Amino acid sequence: MAYELLNGLSPSEVDQVLALGTRVTVPSGGSLFRLGDPADRLFLTERGRIRLTLPMLVRGREEDILIEEKLPGETVGWSALVPPYRFTLSATTPLETEVIALTREALCAFCDSSPAVGYKIGMNLAILVGQRLQLVQTMWLREMQRTIELKAAGVGEHR
Amino acid sequence: MDMLLMGLCMTFIGLAVTAMAFVAATRPQSSTPAVQAELPAATVAPARFFSDSVAPPIPVQPLVPIEVLLYQIENHVRLEQAAAESFVAFPTQALLHRKTTSSFVN
Repeated sequence: MAYELLNGLSPSEVDQVLALGTRVTVPSGGSLFRLGDPADRLFLTERGRIRLTLPMLVRGREEDILIEEKLPGETVGWSALVPPYRFTLSATTPLETEVIALTREALCAFCDSSPAVGYKIGMNLAILVGQRLQLVQTMWLREMQRTIELKAAGVGEHR
Repeated sequence: MDMLLMGLCMTFIGLAVTAMAFVAATRPQSSTPAVQAELPAATVAPARFFSDSVAPPIPVQPLVPIEVLLYQIENHVRLEQAAAESFVAFPTQALLHRKTTSSFVN
């Protein structure tokens, strides 16, 4: 299994990092964390699938709308490493899913003791955050463009 | 005889003027509002200075079941994410504004 957060680490370094974590199995339809929860752990997806959602009002009803899906090898919950350490999405499992939970405390202590490994993990984390930023920025711009086109066409305006 | 006829004519004219003045003075006041009440009916059409076109009424679309709507939203997000990933991998203006087949916005 190749973990995106541990990209570039040697097999022994990967083993050392994974030894810090705890394997957690979440049943189908379960919840890993909810929006606003304190984020003290991040998760490496081992198997299954994780849905990242945000609440949205649809016809007056609050619904969890899918923002992103995470597959084996991908990282969930990097809010655990970024202040104010609160999850900004909800994570649920549409099928039985296994993750490796790494606490911030254990991971930071390991990175302090092994700065070379810590540097690689930090760079991988920067890539993850950067990719999310680029995706969200692009999606936001496309939605803005659509809104501008609708406004120009006068849709939804009352005269 | 001429003087008598002239006096008679003057009397009739005076009587006619008096009668018209009386009728005018005793005409019911409600006739004026009745005329005013008709005025708004004549001004129903809105003033259009630059165009005679009228905005077409917005068609009322039947509500789709909430499950269908949620599926459309989820599908839309997936397509938008794929389009965004294409742009991030190879940023061009054409890819940035490439349309998707999402039924949610089309």
